[in-house]
Amino acid sequence: MVEKQNLTSLGVPKDDFLDHVRRSLGRTHPVVPPPLHLPLTENLADLEGRAAAARERLEETRGELADRFEGTARARNWNVFRTSSAEESIGYITQLAGRLGISRAARADQPVFGELGVDSALRNTGVELFVAAHDESTSGPRVRDRIIESGLGITGADYAVAETGSVVVVPRQGLSRLVSLVPPVHLAIVRPKDLVESIDDVFLFRRLEYLRNGGDMGSYLNFITGPSRTADIEMKLVVGVHGPREVHLVLLA
Amino acid sequence: MAEVKTREFVSASDSAMKDASLRRALRQVGGGFNEARLEAIEEVSWETWEEWREEARRTKIHALENLDYYLELLHDRVTAAGGHVHFARDASQANSIVAEIARSRNVKIATKSKSMVSEELDLNQSLEANGVEVYETDLGEYIIQLAGETPSHLVAPALHKTKEQVSELFHQELGVPLTDDIEEMARVARRVLREKFLSADLGISGANFLVAETGTLVIITNEGNGRLCTSAPRIHIGITGMEKVIPSLQDLAVFLRLLPRSATGQRLTSYVSMVTGPRRNDDEDGPEEFHLVLVDNGRSRLLADPDLREALYCIRCGACLNICPVYGKIGGHAYGWVYPGPIGAIVSPALVGLKEAKDLPHASSLCGACREVCPIRINIPRMLLHLRHRLAESPLETENATTTGERQAAQAYSWLMSNPAALSAAAKVGRLVQKPFVSGGKVSKRVPLPLVSKWTGGRDLPALPRQTFREMWAQGLESVAELRE
Ligand code: SF4
Repeated sequence: MVEKQNLTSLGVPKDDFLDHVRRSLGRTHPVVPPPLHLPLTENLADLEGRAAAARERLEETRGELADRFEGTARARNWNVFRTSSAEESIGYITQLAGRLGISRAARADQPVFGELGVDSALRNTGVELFVAAHDESTSGPRVRDRIIESGLGITGADYAVAETGSVVVVPRQGLSRLVSLVPPVHLAIVRPKDLVESIDDVFLFRRLEYLRNGGDMGSYLNFITGPSRTADIEMKLVVGVHGPREVHLVLLA
Repeated sequence: MAEVKTREFVSASDSAMKDASLRRALRQVGGGFNEARLEAIEEVSWETWEEWREEARRTKIHALENLDYYLELLHDRVTAAGGHVHFARDASQANSIVAEIARSRNVKIATKSKSMVSEELDLNQSLEANGVEVYETDLGEYIIQLAGETPSHLVAPALHKTKEQVSELFHQELGVPLTDDIEEMARVARRVLREKFLSADLGISGANFLVAETGTLVIITNEGNGRLCTSAPRIHIGITGMEKVIPSLQDLAVFLRLLPRSATGQRLTSYVSMVTGPRRNDDEDGPEEFHLVLVDNGRSRLLADPDLREALYCIRCGACLNICPVYGKIGGHAYGWVYPGPIGAIVSPALVGLKEAKDLPHASSLCGACREVCPIRINIPRMLLHLRHRLAESPLETENATTTGERQAAQAYSWLMSNPAALSAAAKVGRLVQKPFVSGGKVSKRVPLPLVSKWTGGRDLPALPRQTFREMWAQGLESVAELRE
């Protein structure tokens, strides 16, 4: 294979560009600005302390958080099914598959599915379930095709944000970016420990991960807040343009 | 760079005002978006809202004041995450960077999510000239791409089109049956574009924010096309103005609260997608390459100008368009370049040249509503006044737009105003001259003087009163007392 042409820096060299910006600001030399809110190079211990305090606060208010999340999520057009029974939650998923009349579904490979046993239940109803697991035989284009064929995509949540009614997903093995996006219906399973109060909490925990991983954020962080929508024609709301038209939450709390 | 038609402002706004379907659409925006915005603010309380605005403004001031530092940090962090950063001085350089990436990676098909900067560069045209098929994927952008038009609103680009026009367009261009069902039109777009997403080699997105600390590009969308553009193709190029950078992840939260509420009254859009570099080894999927193109294209001029720098704080929410009485009458196209409305009247002159866009700073009644609604409290009226001042007084040939005649008229006016005797003589002459043209207290529209008829063409010119205030004053104010009775 031919070596790919290196595309590291096209256009103006970085230093020239920055120098021009600096001169536009009336400076000739770089200065390090004073921190705005928080120092950019917080030490890990500080951040761990703050994250621990946040976790404690969330732990104490878990019940309230679940109520609030349920409310904001409904307002953002999630169909919320709240139950603490594993059996009922599986029942909800199989009934949904039945109502949609789908023959294929895809799910991500996340820890929550080990705890639930959705797979056998769905398969028993005759749905062909594809697990986007990370191994050589399934990764690449085939994963994509199987997801495209699916009428329902099922994922867990890394965070569920009470402030906004959002489900947040971050990359991990076994989680295709497409499972929550390409099938016309998405269902997310939220555990009590996924609940956080605000966007700030999400960013606090992500910054901690970021520093722990030696400065790697992971390739994406997605907030999903209700179905795909548009109002681009005459300002009339239409759901399900490029993403799912229908979204469900199973809230295990 | 996109074609500049700012010189046609007067005639373009004239025909816009005669366009009945445009006026209907504009009434909807004015009402719809703004009411939703107010509701969303009331939900969190005005007090909280003002705190958020304050915080966001502080962050923008700080980020722009130290832009060189944060751009460098951003560059380092994107690179550390495995991405590439390219800097472009102007539109043509930005276009060549993208073309070069496309060429060397053998790109045939590109899908794009909404990006005003790419409109500014006219990137699609450049890519097509280089043999790349480009598809806009935001529904509104797709519509105007099919129609060969440009966006007329920052948030709702196809706002000026009726559903009948869209249906006709889809019928003509895509061969689908006519329909008056908007949901059906959205389904058509989904079907056509889904196929493009899956065959595209390149996804192009803009950025609403760039987080320096982590090297993260943030896009805020409702349709999901942004996520698809940045997930499905093997290469992702983010292209945006250099002013979009903010320091840290913690600073982002307040902008995520302000932008959707200001734009559409949503608490959060359906999708907020944050991208940091290409896919990692462990990732299931995602682009193999990530490029970030940072564009100056005139922004450093705004940065260098203490009077105009705050125009760079804009987060393109569109709230100032939705509230503006002028935008509400003429819509976006009349402004003649990519950025419409009150903020466009500042940004466009800065980017295309003040004299080239000399009518735009006057396209405002200076009512101040834009500043009131702006989530970053950008003082738009002050900047518009400043630009008007420059157009009239600037010693620079490139900025001063007054004609010799206008300058002489202004000089004559100031001389008259400082010479009471001459002024009263002029008033008497004026009353005599206007006599044949006055009816009902107004000067007729058919005055045979070009200067006067230009003025009266679009408005009423009140006739000079029988007696001026100065004359009443001289008569010892009895007549004023009479008037009061
Ligand atoms: S100037 Fe303010 S109100 Fe107008 S688009 Fe920009 S941020 Fe929004």
